[in-house]
Amino acid sequence: MTREDTPYGSVHVSPRAIATITYQAARSSYGVVGLASKNLVNGLSNALVKDPTHGVEVHYDGTHLNIDIYIIIEYGTRIASVASSVSNTVRYQVEKSLGLPVNQVSVHVQGLRVSDLD
Amino acid sequence: MTPDTQTSQKNILRMNFRQRPVDGIALKNLIQAGLIWLRTNQQVVNSLNVFPVPDGDTGTNMVLTMQSALDEIADSAERNFGKMAHSVAHGALMGARGNSGVILSQLWRGFARAVDSQDFLDAPSFARAFAAARDTAYKGVVRPVEGTILTVAKDIAAAAETALGHTDDPFTLLEFVVKAADQSVERTPELLPVLKDAGVVDAGGKGLFYILEGMLRYANGQGLELPVTAVQPLSAMVLGEAIETIEPGQDVEVVVDFKPHSSLDIEDFYRTLEGMGTSIQVGEGDGLYRFHIHVPLENQYKPIEYAKSLGTFTRVTMENLIAQMEDLEASRGGSKLTLAQVEQNQIAVVVVSPGRGISRIFASLGAAAVVEGGQTMNPSTEEIIQAFVNLPTDRIIILPNNKNIILAASNAATLTVKKVAVIPCKSIPQGLAAILRLAPDGDFEAVVEEMTAAINEVVTGEITTATRSVEIKKVSTKEGQFIALLNGELVLAAKNLEGACLGLLEKAHADHYELITLFSGAGISNIEANRIGDLIRQRYSRQEIEVKEGGQPHYHFILSIE
Repeated sequence: MTREDTPYGSVHVSPRAIATITYQAARSSYGVVGLASKNLVNGLSNALVKDPTHGVEVHYDGTHLNIDIYIIIEYGTRIASVASSVSNTVRYQVEKSLGLPVNQVSVHVQGLRVSDLD
Repeated sequence: MTPDTQTSQKNILRMNFRQRPVDGIALKNLIQAGLIWLRTNQQVVNSLNVFPVPDGDTGTNMVLTMQSALDEIADSAERNFGKMAHSVAHGALMGARGNSGVILSQLWRGFARAVDSQDFLDAPSFARAFAAARDTAYKGVVRPVEGTILTVAKDIAAAAETALGHTDDPFTLLEFVVKAADQSVERTPELLPVLKDAGVVDAGGKGLFYILEGMLRYANGQGLELPVTAVQPLSAMVLGEAIETIEPGQDVEVVVDFKPHSSLDIEDFYRTLEGMGTSIQVGEGDGLYRFHIHVPLENQYKPIEYAKSLGTFTRVTMENLIAQMEDLEASRGGSKLTLAQVEQNQIAVVVVSPGRGISRIFASLGAAAVVEGGQTMNPSTEEIIQAFVNLPTDRIIILPNNKNIILAASNAATLTVKKVAVIPCKSIPQGLAAILRLAPDGDFEAVVEEMTAAINEVVTGEITTATRSVEIKKVSTKEGQFIALLNGELVLAAKNLEGACLGLLEKAHADHYELITLFSGAGISNIEANRIGDLIRQRYSRQEIEVKEGGQPHYHFILSIE
């Protein structure tokens, strides 16, 4: 829970809210075709569920905000470029919305979706 | 050969290009043309960036992606169109940079798959390839955002499909496609509000347009090196800055206003001007053209003659740049600084310098930023931060070069997310000794340690004027006398400059060292500096003596003894 105290009261932002921003940012990144939960081992059928925080973990220890994202990428794209785009976009969107610096964004590529084979 | 005949010969070659079958080699030429044209217009694309996302500029990312595609095929002599297209797609994939680069590589991947192992490209397969490119690109994203490069890819696929009803020539089809791309890019702000708010079109879409247009221009034998968009409104011409970018050999600035008899062929116009000089700017308003050019002295009337041949000139201004530069330099106390360019992850050095000459010396040794400041004009922490905050690297070393500035520099180090080290150098010679050890690509801690160690290897002497009468450590000085400081300690007072310099060197046991460098202060003429340099040479014949213009205030001379 991140919080900010002002003379008029305090503002709390829940990790879930941050996770939602992250989720939306990741989903609109090119090359990302879905988010996957951390423990999903078999099959990627749950890739496109409705939960707006699925595949995102937010850790806040009072000073550092760390975000983990678990994504599925389109087969045939350059994975390193897509992952670094996701990391940049998430950081930018979260920092813009919250005004809070993000310490670390870790992108975990959980799988690839194959639409076309070359 | 004159430029004119050169161009027409190229035209003949390329007219044939349109009639030849489009094989793998032709594709290679087209890819190269697309890349060159994109690069020519790279800054236009970069200027359209809306988000300050730190993964680089769209234009640059697309250029790097296309460059990788071209590198992949550069040595290939593959004649099969489909195989060459697959190599292009592979190269683009391997070099895909940033969002736009990844999408571009997906477009090429789809394109290549549609023309699989085809010997030649014809209009139907061209249209099919554009459709496949669109499909593949759209598969890469869950929620396609319209008003981006994806929309442009969709619109050109549709245009290619329509064009098939009118033509069976692939280049005529490309003409349709380029036109559609242009219109599609113009429409992007209507689809994506963030573009409209910023008053720009989509950068990635514009980049794709340039690639395709470059191919068409090549096929038509048009030039690829000059942006055609360079004609600007008259009011937007910034002539004041042009003088900053003066090149050697270009002595005269000519600005001509003229009304052409008939409509002007801008490309041809540019090409002719390019043959005369540099720094060309062209503006237009109400049928009146103004051009600005730097030419060598012997060409000074050529632009006017040329304008007369095109129409009626209304006004000519001509200025001698060399004379102007001299004035400018005198008023600024030196020419423009050329600082070292640092790249990502390299170590950048920020220097606090009290004078132009010293700034230039530091710049020549690899300083990436200079903050003006020194004795009695200490820069603020904020000024120091401003100097490096925009450098493209996170590894910064600050050389304060004055003991009063070390604290401000240390504060700057704590107020930034960048990794900053302050070398505690208390004088210019110490700073110079440190920067000589700079290895921009080295390990940060090791370089800092090396540079810190270096500052103790040099002896610093300073000559200034006593501001009041005082006696310190048995040295008595009277106000107005020349005094010498050795490593910051007052060692002697003298009636004249040479006495102070020679006395200082004696106290410093300069005969045990190898190199003595004098940095002359702001009030010292070159003649005076050289005279004292010669006196020192006579006394210390076995040491190497250098005299440099430092330009620092307060200190008549700073001496470095090492």
